[in-house]
Amino acid sequence: MTNNRPRAWLLLFPATVFLLAVFVYPVGVFLLSSFRLENGVGLDNYFTFFSSEVNIEVYWRTVRIALLVTLVSAVVSYPAALAIMQLGAQYRGLLIGLIILPLMISPVARSFAWLVVLGREGLINKTLVGTGVLKESIPILYTENAVFIGLLQLMLPLMLLSLTSALENLPRDVIAAARSLGANSLQVFTRVILPLTRDGLTIGGTLVFTGCVTAYVTPALLGGPRVTMLATLLYQKAGVTVDEAATTVISMVMLLTTLAVNAALKSRSRGAA
Amino acid sequence: MNSFAFTKWMLWLVLFFLIAPFSIVFITAFSDDNSLLFPPSSYSVRWLLSVMQTEIFVSSLITSLWLGFGATAIALVFGVPAAYALQRYPVPETEWIRTLLTSPLIIPGLVIGVALLKQFVLLGGNSVNLALLAGHAALVLPYAVRVVGASLANLPRDIEDAAFSLGASRAQVFWRVVLPNVRGGLAAATVLAFINSFNHVPVSLFLTGPGITTLPIRMLLHMESSYDPSIAALSMLVILFSMVFVFVTERVLGLSRYM
Amino acid sequence: MNKKVMLVAGAVISSAIFSLAVGQQRTLTISSFGLNQPLIDKNVTRPFETLCNCKIVYEVGNNADRLAKLIARKNNPNIDVALLGDYFAQAAIREGLLDQLDTRKIPNRNQIYDFAKNPLGNDYGVAFTAYTISLAYRTDKISTPLTSWRDLWRPELKGRIALPNITTTQGPPVVFAVNRAYAGTDSNVNPGFQQLAALKPNILTFYNQSSQVASLFAQDEIWVAPIGRFAWGTMLNTGKPLAWARLREGQIGLMNTVSIVKGTKNEDLAHQYINFLISKEVQLAQANDLVDSPINKTVQLKPAKAAQLTTLGEFANMRFLDAKYLLGVRDEWIARWNKEIAR
Repeated sequence: MTNNRPRAWLLLFPATVFLLAVFVYPVGVFLLSSFRLENGVGLDNYFTFFSSEVNIEVYWRTVRIALLVTLVSAVVSYPAALAIMQLGAQYRGLLIGLIILPLMISPVARSFAWLVVLGREGLINKTLVGTGVLKESIPILYTENAVFIGLLQLMLPLMLLSLTSALENLPRDVIAAARSLGANSLQVFTRVILPLTRDGLTIGGTLVFTGCVTAYVTPALLGGPRVTMLATLLYQKAGVTVDEAATTVISMVMLLTTLAVNAALKSRSRGAA
Repeated sequence: MNSFAFTKWMLWLVLFFLIAPFSIVFITAFSDDNSLLFPPSSYSVRWLLSVMQTEIFVSSLITSLWLGFGATAIALVFGVPAAYALQRYPVPETEWIRTLLTSPLIIPGLVIGVALLKQFVLLGGNSVNLALLAGHAALVLPYAVRVVGASLANLPRDIEDAAFSLGASRAQVFWRVVLPNVRGGLAAATVLAFINSFNHVPVSLFLTGPGITTLPIRMLLHMESSYDPSIAALSMLVILFSMVFVFVTERVLGLSRYM
Repeated sequence: MNKKVMLVAGAVISSAIFSLAVGQQRTLTISSFGLNQPLIDKNVTRPFETLCNCKIVYEVGNNADRLAKLIARKNNPNIDVALLGDYFAQAAIREGLLDQLDTRKIPNRNQIYDFAKNPLGNDYGVAFTAYTISLAYRTDKISTPLTSWRDLWRPELKGRIALPNITTTQGPPVVFAVNRAYAGTDSNVNPGFQQLAALKPNILTFYNQSSQVASLFAQDEIWVAPIGRFAWGTMLNTGKPLAWARLREGQIGLMNTVSIVKGTKNEDLAHQYINFLISKEVQLAQANDLVDSPINKTVQLKPAKAAQLTTLGEFANMRFLDAKYLLGVRDEWIARWNKEIAR
C-alpha cells in the first residue's frame, strides 16, 4: 500500500486542480473580499449591511420561510414515507420515480405552474369563490404564501427521499415488535421511528433548508419585489445597483446561514444517537 | 389499520401536490388563446409550433444542450479518475479531497455565479462563455464523483485482481474491466450531471451576455415579461425531455439506486 | 495532465462550442430594452443587417440592469451601442461610458424634432423616441374614469395597483408626479413619499419591466398601473378593455436616447445604425406597430395610430423631466422608497 500515494494523486490531481481553479479560488477570493475595506480589513461591510432595517427584514423573512418549509416538509413526509414502506416493494420503484421526477424538471417550469394556480383569477381563487368559501378573490401571488407553496413543492421530494431511505434502513420488524409490546401509533413514531431515522431527517432538513435559502427562481417569480429574499436581494445588489460590498456580504451570510443550520442539525442528530 | 389509512392518504396528497401542477402546464401548452388563461377557452398546437420556430428559444436551447454536454464531459473526465482513486487508493488526504470535490453542492449557486463573474470575467478578462462552462462543470462534478464512486464501491476488487494476475496493465484494467462494470453508474452520473446543468438557473444568472443565454434563463426573462402560453409550451417540451431522459434511465439502469 | 493543459483544453472546448453560430461577418452589439423585441427585429434588426451586411446581437434588460453591466465592463466593453432612458444616459455620461457622436455621420438628425437632437448635451446621444407617463386602467372594472394621480388612492383599488419599482426608469418620474399632485416641490418630496406610503394597501406588487405590467393585466391581477406610452401597444395586445388616463396634472415626459459606448471597435457601424434608427422608414414602421412614438418630423401617421402614441401636439405641451435633477435625487429616493414604501 505504500506506493498508493503517487498513483492516487495522479488520478486526483486533475479534478482537484480544476475545482481549485474554477471554484475554490474565485469563490474564496470573492467571499473574503467582504472583509476588505478601503484601508485594511474589518467587519464594516457587515455592520453597514445589518444596520439597514430592510436588509434585516429580508434576512429574517428568508430564515423564517426556510424553517417553515423544512418543518412542514418533515411533518408531511413522515407519513408519506411510511406509506411508501407499507405499500410494499413492488410499488416502491414507481413511487420513488414519481418523487424523483419533479427534481428532474426545470424549476422555471415548476414555478410557472403556480403562476396559473395561484393567480387572482387562478384555479384556487376560482374554486374558493365558486364554492362560496370566499366572497371575493384574494391575492396569493406576490405574497409570502406563494413563495412558501412554491418552495414546499420544490423541496418536498428531497425530504421525502431522505426519510424513505432512512426508513428502508430501519431494522426489519422493529415497528411490529414495538406494537406487539403494546405501543400505540404515536408511541411507535416518537419512541421508535423518529430516533432511528434522525440521520435521514438531518440530511433532508439540511437539503431543504439550504435549498430554500439559496433558491432564486421561486421567490423571484412568485414573490416579486415585495417579498424579497436573500437570493433575490443578492441579484438586485449585484445586478441592478452594483453594490459590491453588499453583494459579498449577502453571499457570505447565505453561506454561513446554511453551514450553521447544517452543523446545528448534525450535532443534534449526533447528540441524540 | 387506521394509521395506514392516514399515511396512505398523506402519500396521495403529497404525490398530487408534487405532480398535479404539471398537468396544468400540459393543458395550457395546448391553449389557443393569446394570453394565459386556465382552463384555456380553446385548444391548438400553435404555441408549441411557435416556440419551436422562435429563434431566441432555439438558440438558447442549443446553448443549453452544448453547455450541458460540455460540463458533463468535463465532470466525467475529471471526476471518474478521482472517484476511482478515492475508492481504491485511500490516502490520508482522502476525506479532505472528497469534501473538496463535493463542495460545489453546498455553496449557493448564485454565489458561484457572481464570484465567477467578478473574478473570472471582470478581473480575469476571460469570456463569459468560458466562465459559464467552468461554473457548470464545477457544479456537476460532485455528481460524477459521488455516483461513480457509489458504483465503484459495489465492484468487487477481485475482478481487477484477477485481471492483473492475467497480466493486464493498469490502463487495460481500467478501460476493459473497471469502466464496463460501472457503466450503470456512469450513465446515471451522466444523466444527473446533464439534467442538473440543463435546468440550472443560479450559476447562469450572472453569466449571460449578448448572444449567450441558456434556456432556463431565457424562459425566466420571457416569463417576467410575457403573458402568452409560449412558456407553458416550452415548459411542457422541457418537462417531456426530462421525463423521457429519466424514465429511460430508470428503466434501463435503475436510476433511483444512485440517488 | 497539468493545469495549463486543462485550461487550454477548456478554452478550446468552449470556444469550439460557442463559436459555431458566429461566422465571419462583423457584429454590432446593442444594449436595448427588450420590450417588443420581435417587432424590433422585423422593423430594425433584419433590415439593418441586410443594409450593413453585419450581424446584430442584443443585450436586453431594463435601464438599471444594463447600466450596471456597462459600468461593470467599463474597461473591457462588449457593447457598441446603448439605447437608454435619458437620465440613465446622463448617469452613463457621468461614469464616462459614452462617446460623443459625430453628427456629420448621422444625416437623418436633421429630420428630427429639435428637442431630440441633443438632449444629453455635448452630442452624447440623440433621442429616438419620447413618451409620456400616465395611468393605464381597466375600464370594465373601474367605472369612473381616472383623471388624476390622486385617483390611485380610491379604496376600491385595494390590492389592484402595480407601481414601477424605484430602480426602474418609470419609478422616479412616478414619485415626481405624485409629489406634484400633492403639492410637493423639487426640494420637498415629503408629500409624495408620505402619500405613497399610505398607498400601500392598494399596491399588489412592483414591476421591474413594463412588459410585466401587461402580464399582470392579462392575468387580472391588477386594474391600474402607471406606465410609459411606449408600452401601450403591449398593453392593448392583452385584449383586455384598457384606457389611457388623461390626467389633469398634465403630461410628464421622458426621452429614450441612443449613444455610442466608449471603446467600441465598430464606430462607423454604430453611427450607421443610429442614423437608421431615426430614419423615416424605421420610425414609421415602429410607430405603426406601436413600438415607439416617432420623433422624425417627416413621419405621417394615420389618425387612428396617432391616437395610441405620443405625438407632436403632446410633445409641445409635455413637461420633459429634468434628467440631471432625477439623476441627482435618484439614490436618495431609492433609499427612502426601500425604507418607506417597498416593504
